[in-house]
Amino acid sequence: MSDAGVATRPVIEAHEVKKVYDDGMIRALDGVDLTVANGEFVAITGPSGCGKSTLLHLFAALDRPTSGTIRVDDYDMSHLRHSNRFRRQEIGLVFQLHNLLPRLSVLGNVEIAMAGSHRPYAERSVYAQKLLGDVDLAHLADRRPTQLSGGERQRVAIARALANDPPILLADEPTGSLDSASVEAVLGLFQRLRQERGVTIVLVTHDNVVAGVADRIVQMLDGKVVSEPATRSL
Amino acid sequence: MSLVRLVLANLWAKKSRSIGIAFAIGIAVMTVVTLTVVSSGLESSAAAVLTIGKSDFTVAQNGVSDILFSSIDDGQLHNVRSTKGVANAVGVLLETEKINAANPLFLEIGIDPGDLSHFGVTVVAGKPYGATANHEVMLGWRAAQNLGLHVGDRFEGNGTWNTVTGIFSTGISYGDLGAMFPLPALQARNRVAGSVTLVFVKVVPGYSIPKVEQSLTSSHPELTTIRTASQFGRADRNLVFLQAAATGSTALAILIGAVIVGNTMLLSLFERTREFGLLRAIGWTRTRVVFLVVGEGIVLAVVGSATGVGLSFAATSVLEHLPQLNGVLHANYTQGAFWRGLYTGLGMAVIGALYPALRAANLTPLKALSHE
Repeated sequence: MSDAGVATRPVIEAHEVKKVYDDGMIRALDGVDLTVANGEFVAITGPSGCGKSTLLHLFAALDRPTSGTIRVDDYDMSHLRHSNRFRRQEIGLVFQLHNLLPRLSVLGNVEIAMAGSHRPYAERSVYAQKLLGDVDLAHLADRRPTQLSGGERQRVAIARALANDPPILLADEPTGSLDSASVEAVLGLFQRLRQERGVTIVLVTHDNVVAGVADRIVQMLDGKVVSEPATRSL
Repeated sequence: MSLVRLVLANLWAKKSRSIGIAFAIGIAVMTVVTLTVVSSGLESSAAAVLTIGKSDFTVAQNGVSDILFSSIDDGQLHNVRSTKGVANAVGVLLETEKINAANPLFLEIGIDPGDLSHFGVTVVAGKPYGATANHEVMLGWRAAQNLGLHVGDRFEGNGTWNTVTGIFSTGISYGDLGAMFPLPALQARNRVAGSVTLVFVKVVPGYSIPKVEQSLTSSHPELTTIRTASQFGRADRNLVFLQAAATGSTALAILIGAVIVGNTMLLSLFERTREFGLLRAIGWTRTRVVFLVVGEGIVLAVVGSATGVGLSFAATSVLEHLPQLNGVLHANYTQGAFWRGLYTGLGMAVIGALYPALRAANLTPLKALSHE
């Protein structure tokens, strides 16, 4: 897949998206238009409360827009019937807090995301091990999450997000609670994944330095996209 | 990571709580299994009376509280004998007596010596007693062995000393543990002259046994017929009450247990809200989440039921050896008792886990993930 080719087809399209809470008292999103091309690495940035996480949640089918349309990889998010299947097959989610299950091993935490997938049981453990290898944590597969550093936990969470080979990775403040060395490692991993797997990445962050590693930075303010700097060369 | 492994990992992570719930289920299952085993044992002991006669069916007075309180007079016995299709009908008087600590319910059967062969009795030593003898008795071979008595020895039973004229075998252990007296002698000593407890009926070959039974009970509604142990309740209300108590206690155990299991699992749900939110966020279906929580309940139920059955063995053994129940209670571990234990445990766990499971499945992923 050539870089020129992957960047042409849009995989995420948001048009006039609004999201209100409390009967309209809170306008989280106020007419957002955004398109993300296949294989693109987009960072959505802005101050706290600007609506960037809300937008990501709508992309992830964790919530529904009040009005407007969102299409993610040909799925109309307003009329999505099987949101769980969509989340399992089409996207990988990375949270600020890694949300690993402490009673499972690192390997188990990756495998758990394959529940309900088409991958045969026998292959799941092997594939989870490979994913841990991809994030340079194969040697820690038997450890518990509590035995890992913050950066290592987040890399496990990224491996989990890739468990079902989703074409899109959505990350909500993935470096928000990491030290600078870990931030560097996680961002390097994102870049590598995009290059090696051609994964489309949408990363939400309030940190401009973090956003700087993306191909494109989308600035949000008060529920609106206020600026879209020119796309960097892929 | 299969669902089963995840279920086990979840339970293992909260060992103390899991053991606590399983033990609570075990106690309830123990109660239910023990009650079932005891009632079944009592039923078997009582129903054993019916098997002694080797008849096609037994006739008793309808609706008595205890089958030993059944009373059929000479006229009714005659009517039974004259019913079409009846080949022979043996009237016997049944009494129980405590002859020593080891035999608190020693069976005494009053029967005419002429009916012994119809009743399926074989005299294995000595000879039958005289039909009108007052102080003669035959002992079942097991009773004779237990009491260390032989033909010619003296046996104190039914309030008097009797000479042992013979040793008999019925082929039924319960019958072989008792004694047989001349019918008039036993009737006189118990002041029930002219009446018997049960009538053991043999049907003419070729006749339909149910039709003969129906003919008899329709013309004599004060009588009832019993062919199987399950029909025993027609003539023994105590047993019906005991079985009803066992069934009622099962339902109650399921209800109380379900509330306990449900409460504990609800607590676990609140602790694991973020986990369920995460599972939903990474694509788990609601059904899978329900299976996870109910699966944890089922594993606890199986472990609890196994514990309960083990405890029930111990409890029944203790009951059997209580002085008040020694010789009366014979534990009868039927397959049904174990099934009842299992479905009690499963019922408690599944009903108890269902509500927390549905709550977990219906959590909104976003809200659950932001749960503190």
